[in-house]
Amino acid sequence: MWIHRTEAIVYEHSNISSLLLKGSQSEETLLPDFLMKLSDSSMRAIKGGRFKPREVSLFDLSIEDEPHRDLPLMLGDELLQCKPIMIESTEGKAPVVAVDVSSMKIGDTDDGVLCALRAVIVWKINGAYVYLRCGPIMFHITDYGHEYMSKSLGFRELLPPSMFSPVTMRILGRLRNTLERWTQRLVCASSKEALILFDGSLTAGTPDNPVKHAQSILDSARENGNVVLAFSKATKLAIAGERVTNLLEKMPAPCLLDIDHQIGAQFPPNPVKLLGRIYVAKLSPGGFTFRLDIDRQVPVDGAIDAVSRLSGSDLMEQGYPETLRLAHILSTFTANEVIGIQRFIARNHGLRITSQLSLRKSLFGPFGTGRESY
Amino acid sequence: MRLYKKEGDVIQLICFPDELVEKGDYLLIEDQKAKKGLVVQVIDTQFANIPGILEDILRDVMTEESVQGEDYDPFHVSSQITVLKDTRLVICKIRGSVNNGEISSSVSHLPSRISSKITRFPIETVVETRKSRPVHLGTMKSHAELTLDAKTFDGRLNIITGKKGTGKSHLSKLLVASLIDNRAPCIVLDVNGEYVNLSKTKSNPSKLQRRVIVLTPGLNMKLTLPQVGLRTMMSVLLFALDLPGNSARVFSGIWRQLHERNELTLSSLGAAILRWDCHESVRDAIISRYNTMVESGMFTDDESEASDLERIAGELSEGGALVVNMKNQFSTMRRMTVEILLSKLTDLLTTWKLRAIFLFAEEAHLYLRETYWEDIITRMRHIGIFTTFITNQPDTIRESIYRQADNIFLFNFVNENDLETVSKVARIDGESVKLIAKDLPLHHCLIIGEAVKNFPIVVNVHPLNVETMGETRFFFKD
Repeated sequence: MWIHRTEAIVYEHSNISSLLLKGSQSEETLLPDFLMKLSDSSMRAIKGGRFKPREVSLFDLSIEDEPHRDLPLMLGDELLQCKPIMIESTEGKAPVVAVDVSSMKIGDTDDGVLCALRAVIVWKINGAYVYLRCGPIMFHITDYGHEYMSKSLGFRELLPPSMFSPVTMRILGRLRNTLERWTQRLVCASSKEALILFDGSLTAGTPDNPVKHAQSILDSARENGNVVLAFSKATKLAIAGERVTNLLEKMPAPCLLDIDHQIGAQFPPNPVKLLGRIYVAKLSPGGFTFRLDIDRQVPVDGAIDAVSRLSGSDLMEQGYPETLRLAHILSTFTANEVIGIQRFIARNHGLRITSQLSLRKSLFGPFGTGRESY
Repeated sequence: MRLYKKEGDVIQLICFPDELVEKGDYLLIEDQKAKKGLVVQVIDTQFANIPGILEDILRDVMTEESVQGEDYDPFHVSSQITVLKDTRLVICKIRGSVNNGEISSSVSHLPSRISSKITRFPIETVVETRKSRPVHLGTMKSHAELTLDAKTFDGRLNIITGKKGTGKSHLSKLLVASLIDNRAPCIVLDVNGEYVNLSKTKSNPSKLQRRVIVLTPGLNMKLTLPQVGLRTMMSVLLFALDLPGNSARVFSGIWRQLHERNELTLSSLGAAILRWDCHESVRDAIISRYNTMVESGMFTDDESEASDLERIAGELSEGGALVVNMKNQFSTMRRMTVEILLSKLTDLLTTWKLRAIFLFAEEAHLYLRETYWEDIITRMRHIGIFTTFITNQPDTIRESIYRQADNIFLFNFVNENDLETVSKVARIDGESVKLIAKDLPLHHCLIIGEAVKNFPIVVNVHPLNVETMGETRFFFKD
């Protein structure tokens, strides 16, 4: 294994990866060994054969496979009476670390799908942004191999058949979660007194996202004096038919609206666990509002203080922390990268590229204008 | 490289960064199953429009200044992504086809996208001619030598054009030197005095020594009136000195009378004009032209100082060049010189005292009268004057001349009008001319025409070991 550098790196006379890796830990730890082995064994299994690459269009620049992980929730009218918590920015240089992971379907083989994962960590330390990008790592997911994959990933439960979601795509979700949790764990264990930003929520307890994994990450963060804050971009919270994020539209920023009690009331204690205290956050004037989950084990004052420090330490373009925005931008697969990965797979695994048979186009000809589903 | 698209006679290829292709290169798209191939020439290279490239570049721009980073890429996939970013689209024009090893200009086959193999095509094997009279022009893109037989230029009309300082005169001198080497006679109408040192090398004695004769009108190029003759003199008066027709008829009478009396000298001509019984305005018109002729110094009554053009032509017939140095001369003087020269050459050629001659005319619009342009490509060509026009103003050469031209040696042009002028009339499509000529480096020219069997070729013209004298004089030193 070796590091491929994209540009000259100067950061306090040390490698960026040393921000993450302490002591005797080596570069291999950046990506979990079991995931690398799983990637290797799954890709070996496709030696030869046909490959239908995912089609990427010149005119449709955005390709995203990110699942919307937040549940739509309806909240009670009493929330309308709640007063937002006004935040005073604490000017300072609190370290901010953000983690994001992207997954992408790359194409189909005769018996499964090929996909890629990539993890990105962005630090803001002493006013400078630095990033570490790990991957892409590729996987060949087949229907018959998913049991082995699930076991390798440490999941006890096998995926039940579903008429709504193919098993292969759910396995991809598990792989993505595994890498995300791994990276989050590394960040939480290696950072001190930092504000750690996750993409999504701190909700756990689904078969793909076990509580114990998420809980241990938060524990590790707390042990090191860190506070974990998770931002959701796609919030589907509504009060009396109105999006909850609209509630803060006319409020000065930064401010928070505590909706934890209202959300918590909607969930039975098991199996889903809300590991974060849930707020609606508006962090810059005129900016967007987001759902913000802050580690529930951090006292309320500490949580508000963390938002205050975040507001003073990171840029808040349109209400979203710049560190997390960079992590998202850097992890996202562009169409060009998808083609590059397709070329890599075709070359290194002896796959013959075949044209995509489009059911829609075959059936409807020029009138089959909808997107192909993946 | 992979075949991507064909539209009309344009082929588009996808080319990866490690595959080096430049404008002007020839490629063979060989359909190995069909045993047929297309010969194409690269006329442009662009970046391939890869999906997502805009996102990639935007992301790089957004992060490169503000964020430093490190990539841990265990499978080294990013190298493939980088390759894609620099993938190029190569635009080619179809120039011919290969069928069972035979090359032809007809194209009816479309090679397979999947099984076609794309390789460099050694165009030198196609354009190569018999080399018994070699003219070493230069090196092609493939680094192969382009050597043509001097016969290629025999009976041909050539145009050398390009912007100032790109190497037109250099090529012209190389052609003159090569023709002399092959025992051909040349005459150079030199408006800038660039060819006067053609026989002097930068180091060793030149092979051209004593084979280049330099005549400067009025200085060492003088003629007696009988040498010039009435017909040539009438051309000089009418076309170079704009003498009206009535006055020309009177002059003709004076000339004939002096000729009959065997008194045809410059001094007696002047005296005869003064005493001739004619209208005062006619006399004034004739005497003013006579004074111009006298002041030019081109005419003499002293036979010993007169240039013997017939003898010079004889010397050239075994290989040599007559350089007519018209540097610093007024346009009237230049026109008189050219009238006399072309008239005398015509006489020598029609009487077979000279078999044929290669005429090199620099910036011909400065001295060639209107009627000569057509004459040069029709009548004079048939009697053995094979002209090469050299100009940096392509619009000064008539469209009809371009259309008749057998070969065009095109150097760099960036001006759209100049490119448009040449592209309209060249023997290949205008797009090729414009795209290739715009990016030609110094001393590189695109050869279009018979000399290269109508396969346009970019050549880096060989350096010439002679004193060029055509270089621009500068005030500031390095």
